[in-house]
Amino acid sequence: MSALLQIEDLRVTFNTRYGPVTALDSVSLSVNAGETLGVVGESGCGKSITALSVMGLIPSPPGKIAGGAIRLAGEDLTQASEARMRALRGAEMAMIFQEPMTSLNPVFTVGDQIAEAIMLHQKVSADQAFRDAVALLDRVGIPSPDRRARDYPHQLSGGMRQRVMIAMAVSCRPKVLIADEPTTALDVTVQAQIFDLLNEIQRDFGAAIILITHDMGAISEMADRVAVMYAGRVIEQGRADDVLDLPQHPYTRGLISCIPALGKGEDTLREIPGVVPPLHMLGAGCAFADRCAYRAPRCDSEKPQLQAHGHHPVACHAVEEGRI
Amino acid sequence: MTTLLDVRDLTVQFALPRQGFFGPRPVLEAVRQVSFSLEQGRALGIVGESGSGKTTTAMATIRLVEAAGGKVMFQGEDLLQLDDEAMRQRRRDVQLIFQDPYSSLNPRARVADIVREPMDLMEIGTPEERRARVTELFRLVGLRPDQLNLFPHQFSGGQRQRISIARALTTNPKLLVCDEPVSALDVAIQAQILNLLARLKAELGLSYLFISHDLGVVRHVCDDVAVMYLGKIVEMAPRDALFDAPQHPYTQALLSAAPSLARRKSRGYVRPVKISGDPPSPINPPKGCAFADRCPKAQEVCRKVQPVLEPHGPSRVACHFPG
Repeated sequence: MSALLQIEDLRVTFNTRYGPVTALDSVSLSVNAGETLGVVGESGCGKSITALSVMGLIPSPPGKIAGGAIRLAGEDLTQASEARMRALRGAEMAMIFQEPMTSLNPVFTVGDQIAEAIMLHQKVSADQAFRDAVALLDRVGIPSPDRRARDYPHQLSGGMRQRVMIAMAVSCRPKVLIADEPTTALDVTVQAQIFDLLNEIQRDFGAAIILITHDMGAISEMADRVAVMYAGRVIEQGRADDVLDLPQHPYTRGLISCIPALGKGEDTLREIPGVVPPLHMLGAGCAFADRCAYRAPRCDSEKPQLQAHGHHPVACHAVEEGRI
Repeated sequence: MTTLLDVRDLTVQFALPRQGFFGPRPVLEAVRQVSFSLEQGRALGIVGESGSGKTTTAMATIRLVEAAGGKVMFQGEDLLQLDDEAMRQRRRDVQLIFQDPYSSLNPRARVADIVREPMDLMEIGTPEERRARVTELFRLVGLRPDQLNLFPHQFSGGQRQRISIARALTTNPKLLVCDEPVSALDVAIQAQILNLLARLKAELGLSYLFISHDLGVVRHVCDDVAVMYLGKIVEMAPRDALFDAPQHPYTQALLSAAPSLARRKSRGYVRPVKISGDPPSPINPPKGCAFADRCPKAQEVCRKVQPVLEPHGPSRVACHFPG
């Protein structure tokens, strides 16, 4: 069975004042209907660029898709016209952003904004669209949706705004829902509500969800499969249980062990020294080598490729050579 | 153990705009009769969601926000009663690290000057001694002396937070207020800063008043934890007691809401305590327990009578039905 959304060997470059840099390098990911793929990594690892590439929202120039394919139910989105992309966005795939206040229009009521999304893709009357919007607000758990549909974004709390965004995103029952750090701006009890809601919506609509996050805890609760990204490449991927219980790449191990756990932990957290290198400073070798405890000469000269090892694919010379 | 800080019935009010020209000026009570104490060499964590008053409590404690009432006894002296000059002298014992290392460092100053400035203001030591101290502090927080003359933008977020910490330590403070010191940082960098804070506490015998919304972070750094909700402390306990046997339903909800590696989608986890909705508005706080509307255990009495903080095992809880 081929996946609903398949990213193959995607390469995205940006023109910067340091010359062209490669933001995504041979990224291959896939997600099936009804499944959640977690994409995890620190800032600057290419998580959001991956999401924007799928939606056809890479700012161009300076960015461009320089190679590879993004197939949604077989159709290559990198070759699709802008008109075709506009028809697909919202209807077949939708995205939820980090900051709901800046992604909603402050001068229209939330009901009107959801209704607008519905009318763009479906032949319904304005009245019907508004009634659908109210029903959606009810579905995402907003109390007294009739009244709330007539509210402006600033009248809602952060959690309610994110619910509105979710209502808008699922208004046309998209096949793929991309959530880019959907709860970073929210409090932890509200975050739990949003996660539970996304899971419910997935059960109801059977959507494929791509959850972008830096939080391994969120991955554990939400994802069926995980891709770990570092400096524009996927460095490890597999079933969530395999990656979380048996992480292979030193970076993945670091990400998991540096979380201050709620349960009894050790006194000192394991830390990953240093920071993610800027993209224009990437050399010929492994981008993680500078921060890695298992660095060897080969790591500086040759980029490790993602290949099957043990339970799941990993891109690391040390793992491949059995040094870890 | 000596008590460093003893806060009694601290209250902070903010005046809101008048309703109408001759209307009364409504008051928002951001912190309502909060009491806690902190011993030398220990860390007290204050957790809560946005709007719970945790930052305002800390800021009122060190007089960066004006308190409407209460006492802040610091080494036996009420900080709220000090005149401006006496308070200025006291500030060397009380320093602060901010959340955002990008906006809390002057972009036009070299980092050595940023770190030295508190000593200049307090007139501590000779210029040579100050310079030597800056270099020493740089080493202490894990920066290199050859970075002394760089500007803040040449550092990463984690390094900037190290600079903030060095600046806070210049005057040899006894109390360090840390306001969400790692929430703007990537998770791998968070671990570096948390380990640094833990090491400094052990080596220098510092006391922390540690504000955070992240329970994992608080568990790692703090000895005691206070949970705030709508301007009040609802539970206060030694770390292990709070995390192993939370008594207040809100604490339980916070713990079950925090994402954890122990909960797996594949194993079909169900959150043990679910709460809905948002906290009520602090402008007209409910008459009874502020959490009653979201609480799974709420009874009639919860909506009528405000629970007070009472001992319950090793913890102190403000709830009619703890446990």
